Amino acid sequence: MMLRTVLRNEWRLLRADRALALVLGVFALLFAYALSNGLAWVDFQEETLAAAREGNAERVGNLEAELQRIADGGQPSSPFRDPRSPSVLGGAPGAQTAVLDPGPLTALAVGQSDLLPYYYDVSIRTNESTFLQNGEIENPLNLLVGRFDLAFVVVYLLPLLILALSFNVLSGEREQGTLALTLAQPVSARGVVGAKLAFRAILVMGLALGVSLLGVLFSGGFGSPGRVALWCATVAAYALFWFTLAAWVNGLGRSSAWNATVLVGAWLLLVVVLPAGVNITAGLLHPLPSRVEMITAQREASNEAVNQRSELLARYLEDHPELAGGVAADEANRAALAWAATDAVNRRLEEVTSVHDERLGAQRTLVRRYRFLSPALLTQEALLDAAGTGDARFARFQSQVREFSERWQTFFVPAILTGELMSVDVLPTLPSFRFVDEQVQEVRARAVIPLAALGGLLVLVGAGAVVRLRRVTGP
Amino acid sequence: MIRHIVRKEFTDLLRDGRFRWCAAIVGVLLLVSLGSGLVETRRAEAAHTAARETARDHWESQGEKNPHSAAHYGIYAFKPRLPLSFLDQGVDPYTGTSVWLEAHRQNDFLMRPAQDATAGQRLGALTAAQVLQYLVPLLIILLAFGALAGEREQGTLRQLLATGISRRDLALGKAFGVAGALALLLIPAAIVGSAAITLGSPGPAATPFARGTVLAAGYLAYFAVFVALSLAVSAWVRSARTALVALLGVWVLNGLVAPRVAVDLSKSLHPTPSAVEFARTMEREISTGVPGIERPDRDETTARLLAEHGVETVDDLPLNAVGVYLQESEEFANQIFDRNYGALWNRFERQGVVHEALSVAAPLLAVRTLSMGLAGTDVEQHRHFATAAEEYRRDLMRRMNGDLAENSRAGETYLATEDTWAQVPPFQYDAPSLGWVLQNRALSLAMLGLWLVGAFLVAGSLVRRAEVA
Repeated sequence: MMLRTVLRNEWRLLRADRALALVLGVFALLFAYALSNGLAWVDFQEETLAAAREGNAERVGNLEAELQRIADGGQPSSPFRDPRSPSVLGGAPGAQTAVLDPGPLTALAVGQSDLLPYYYDVSIRTNESTFLQNGEIENPLNLLVGRFDLAFVVVYLLPLLILALSFNVLSGEREQGTLALTLAQPVSARGVVGAKLAFRAILVMGLALGVSLLGVLFSGGFGSPGRVALWCATVAAYALFWFTLAAWVNGLGRSSAWNATVLVGAWLLLVVVLPAGVNITAGLLHPLPSRVEMITAQREASNEAVNQRSELLARYLEDHPELAGGVAADEANRAALAWAATDAVNRRLEEVTSVHDERLGAQRTLVRRYRFLSPALLTQEALLDAAGTGDARFARFQSQVREFSERWQTFFVPAILTGELMSVDVLPTLPSFRFVDEQVQEVRARAVIPLAALGGLLVLVGAGAVVRLRRVTGP
Repeated sequence: MIRHIVRKEFTDLLRDGRFRWCAAIVGVLLLVSLGSGLVETRRAEAAHTAARETARDHWESQGEKNPHSAAHYGIYAFKPRLPLSFLDQGVDPYTGTSVWLEAHRQNDFLMRPAQDATAGQRLGALTAAQVLQYLVPLLIILLAFGALAGEREQGTLRQLLATGISRRDLALGKAFGVAGALALLLIPAAIVGSAAITLGSPGPAATPFARGTVLAAGYLAYFAVFVALSLAVSAWVRSARTALVALLGVWVLNGLVAPRVAVDLSKSLHPTPSAVEFARTMEREISTGVPGIERPDRDETTARLLAEHGVETVDDLPLNAVGVYLQESEEFANQIFDRNYGALWNRFERQGVVHEALSVAAPLLAVRTLSMGLAGTDVEQHRHFATAAEEYRRDLMRRMNGDLAENSRAGETYLATEDTWAQVPPFQYDAPSLGWVLQNRALSLAMLGLWLVGAFLVAGSLVRRAEVA
């Protein structure tokens, strides 16, 4: 009964306060700007993928037409690009584009999607060096700064809005002399602070979640309600963390000015300094291995391979006796020799990559441990994961592309070795790529760790707030 | 009189526990970031030097080969780290580190270090530049927000002015006091920085001291802007608290909001093509040519050569027509590359101008661009290196095709000896001069100057009108 009075009173106060209305208005604009950027990025990605798919269809169409023409008695347009040859049809001229559609909530968080490749042309030439390629064309300066998307507004700016609204919920009453009056009513300080903060939390979260859902609506992301729920839970947990922090600081019984300084200091430390500090420590203690040595290894492997093609072919056929039917090492065709060399280079590259990836994985595990130091890092991770623009989904895409390229090779290599010619009938039987997206359970299982850590922090700070507020009896 | 004010302010700040703590934290972060930057730069440069030597070794020891096979084999170029890059890694993690220089193609730079890092690492690493651009201004705000507003609140402003000191002198005194306190932090950092430069950070010579001096001057101007702004706000608003809130608002706009607004604004003003579109356009132009850039025809080249030398058959030619034709196709492709890559680079630069122009609202954008420019880690210097590498590739191809044309005849199997490879001069990169960088960064310099003058004018006028109580 009393709390409802407090809430109604707060609503009247907020409505009367011009400055606050202005701040809320500015934030609404920032949210809208962030959302429009995210939506524009999704559009760009979708157009790009449409162009990539179209290019792929055109390539297949041309090959089909040429194969048909040859079947009808025509001549190949170039002896080096005869599509009947499996090393041409399976090579770059017949490459298949493997695409990763934008994450379901990319409009909310651009994440890693501006940096990591989201399509690859897969052919028998695909090997580990394919995965070194750059992603989308992007100004490195823009990559460095990062996008103004909803995830940025939530992680960096939302706490500031929360702190501006709640740094003086209790101290302000005391300074105005109204605290004694309020506490003379049958309510506790805890109840008053709780009600005032709950009111503000409804406003702020209503704004943040409302804009998020609007973004989901515009970009058609409701197809994965699990991700939307995860996003909303993360935003809510992060916002609540800052509200409880404000409650705790208010419970310390200092002046509004002191509260403001401490809270802004906490924001700086947790959002700006700690993530940067964490990164520099991680980089210093666990430097990421350089990729440069991969180039050297690749060169050395291909030098050797070129010089010993026929030996390599013999060795290859010994390793793969099932493919040897019909090929005698001494009467090998040029394509078979070339394949043996390619394969040797690929194997060497895989060795180097696996060593590199192992080291990279170890470093990353160490680096990721530091994220527990900052709620901003935890929140960013959970938000990107929910949006489908975090590291995990891209790693999944890459591993599926790798698997697909193996299937592609398995399809063409036997024909290369036997020198068999392909016809137009083979086109419908080619392996094809479809990205199998993460199950919501998987995303949830990953997000449990950062969310639990965030929740733990929330409980800790909340308990502190409750204890301090219980002691507040009056001015 | 000013001297007394300066001394009082300085002593006050030194005695203030809050300042001591903040300054200690910023100081430690600055030293750590300098040290880690140096370690990281040296590590990267050592790896690249080794790779460069290996790459050259591969080139020289490729054995007897047809020059065109050697051209296809090509050579890798590795981007060097410039001496000052330990201060500001700039866009380096987001540009590739190496490029394959081969026949027929201008390749992209591959292996961006950021692609191996996690999403969390994109929230920013603490480089010396970051500390100077973000944390030092914050320290200045903490030092100066109460300079006038605090005196006013305590009622001591009236007393001070009663001593006959002008408001201007009072404000100047406060400014110098803050500057003195900051100097305690910045001078050691500057010494460590110059020691690091002297000790020899790696990379091609690029007048590191001159660059470092301009860099230091740029940062000092940036700090002066914040001192003036803080005093202006402190003179303008009633309470110290409002001054702090307003200044923190400026800091958030300057450091967090404006840079990201610039990203999306630059992208919508100057959109870049998608990689698919870019590759397709280039492929199409290479296969058909464009008006004014015609694709050479092998038969036409041969016919022309026959006519020039007045002979009937290719066997009578004093050179190999294939070599001439290959070189002509190289030159044709080069024009297509220049057209497409040139347009892309120009887009990037125009996007960069949007970032610089927005510094009208946020001085950080000006000082950041200047800092990256002087450290040699901006987009323009990446382009400078990419252009040098491409020039080297073109020279290499000219030499290979020339060798083929001169030393072989049509139809024969020609293998060049190892000497041919050794005769190709190694790739030597000279970093651009200081003048080149400053010319590129003229807009940032002007903006920073504008901010300096503007902030001081505004501070002067607000201080003169500052109310006593």
